[in-house]
Amino acid sequence: MNAEMEQVLPAEKTPTKSMRQKLARIVPWAGWISLIVLLAIPVLGGSRYLVYIGTLIALQAALAVSLNIVMGYAGQFAMSHAAFYGFGAYVSAILVASYGVNFWVAIPLSMLIAALLAAMVGYPALRNTGGVHLALITFAFGELLRLVASNWHAVTGGPMGMRVMVSPPPLFGLDLSSAKGLYWLAVGMLLLCLLITHIIHRSRFGRGLVAIREDETLASFLGVNVVGYKVAAYVISSMLAAMVGCAYAPFMNFISPELLSAHETISLIGVLILGGIGTVAGPIIGTIIFFGIPEMLRVARLYRLVLLGVIIVLVVLFMPKGVAGVFNDRIARWKRGIS
Amino acid sequence: MDLIQTLLDGLMVGGLYATVAIGVTLVFGIMGILNFAHGQMVMLGAYTAFFVVSAGLGFWPALAISMLAMGALGLLLERLVFRHTLTDHMTGLTASLGVIMVIENLAAAAFTPDPRNFDPPLPGSFQIAGLTLSSQRMLVLTLVVLLVVGCYLFLQKTRTGKAVRAMGQNRTGAALVGIQINHVTAVIFILGSAMAGAAGVLYGSLFAISPYMAAAPLMKGFILTVLGGLGSVQGAVLAGFLLGLAESLGSRYLSASFRDGYGFILLIVTLLYFPRGLLGQRGKFRV
Repeated sequence: MNAEMEQVLPAEKTPTKSMRQKLARIVPWAGWISLIVLLAIPVLGGSRYLVYIGTLIALQAALAVSLNIVMGYAGQFAMSHAAFYGFGAYVSAILVASYGVNFWVAIPLSMLIAALLAAMVGYPALRNTGGVHLALITFAFGELLRLVASNWHAVTGGPMGMRVMVSPPPLFGLDLSSAKGLYWLAVGMLLLCLLITHIIHRSRFGRGLVAIREDETLASFLGVNVVGYKVAAYVISSMLAAMVGCAYAPFMNFISPELLSAHETISLIGVLILGGIGTVAGPIIGTIIFFGIPEMLRVARLYRLVLLGVIIVLVVLFMPKGVAGVFNDRIARWKRGIS
Repeated sequence: MDLIQTLLDGLMVGGLYATVAIGVTLVFGIMGILNFAHGQMVMLGAYTAFFVVSAGLGFWPALAISMLAMGALGLLLERLVFRHTLTDHMTGLTASLGVIMVIENLAAAAFTPDPRNFDPPLPGSFQIAGLTLSSQRMLVLTLVVLLVVGCYLFLQKTRTGKAVRAMGQNRTGAALVGIQINHVTAVIFILGSAMAGAAGVLYGSLFAISPYMAAAPLMKGFILTVLGGLGSVQGAVLAGFLLGLAESLGSRYLSASFRDGYGFILLIVTLLYFPRGLLGQRGKFRV
């Protein structure tokens, strides 16, 4: 869309620079509106399949958005995201099924436990600079959680997973236990994650995180509490992952240690880089490309994944900033009036 | 006797880990390319050996052919993809994620997901001083030691090896004194991939192979690279043997189903107290 306009406009010279700035300001709103339209489709369209895929994509998008806080803004390579996602699913399901805790109480409880755990792992791992350190400690921690989940038969049901029948009770008179209700739950979580990212993006905390991402030593000279900020970003992001995990158990009625596997985290990182890391829209765009396009391509599952692999390599090589990054650059250039 | 048996077993498994870890150390520790597709090289190496052995050519040609084939594949990947992601961990990781998806799914389509195995060159076992030792395991241990020593001598004594180490210390500095960065990058990739191929053949001679076998050796390779100290080949080998011992002692005397967990505990504890790894030169600092 932009490319076409760019070619036409210089010749006509009608829109002035201020006009361009106004138009450019509309773009984020257009993005939000198209997100809302996309989110409404599964409910209006009505087919069970669409609602199912919609819920899946909304959950994945919420995970990607929450991972973006620690990876995109703070620039810290946390590999334990899926582990906290699965941890949330297990803790909430066990609390609800075995201890009879109300579902809506179980969510904050499991978020709290996840936050404590994240702080315990994050503080020693984040004391030192450099990404590889944290990546390996969180990776090992995530795998440990997975091993505990698959070996602690009495509580977790062992490596084959367990069947759980958890359904959220009505909240404020809204029935959330049906397929569509669960879809709204997932969308609500996605919007909450987006809202938190948006707030962080515009806050002093968010600017501190970006400073840390760019140069930790310089950030500490500027008075940013580097270790504190990094741990806070890691805790917030892990907490949100645990929250999204709480929606998984009622949706699938089945949880297994595979949820916690590092492969899930790696594909989330792929989603982030594909969409544009460190941008608000990036994780959503990435999720739609990563999970939406394979659903649309009606070829054998095997070749879909092969094709997706090729697409990822190409995007990484030719668009290192991701789809959203390229888009942002284009808009910024157009706003300034350069071709 | 039981203890010695367990220790020998640990050394053998540790040697396998060390072989993978050397490849990862070369590519990740020295080059700074986070190539997760290294595990897929191990898998393809094992399959190459399987097809060569099935064709009746025997174990030794299989070892040579799969090291050559993986070296060639490494060169191809370096030229097409990874030379463009040098020094950038994030993009290297994502690119390798794409490569993993391509290789793994094509392999699953071509080879079928059924687990396979091929006959080891030395079946049976022999007895020394009351110990029953599997001949194949001893052969694997010997081969691993040979590979490790060969790789070490290459890095220490040859001109190219010295260039590789210089690049590991400082890429710009190496370029300034006239080292051809492009050539050295390619050499490291070929060498690392050939080591992965060799590790795959040794894996396949002991365990079943499948298109999805790549994850475990890869994880351990990365853990060992950091455990041993980034960029230190000796450190990676030492860490490999330590991990093998820890795993076999742990699963013998504590709990076998938690086998993989011991390595992770070892990693977390080591990184907390020795942030540079066992033999690491370049350290982390605090701000």
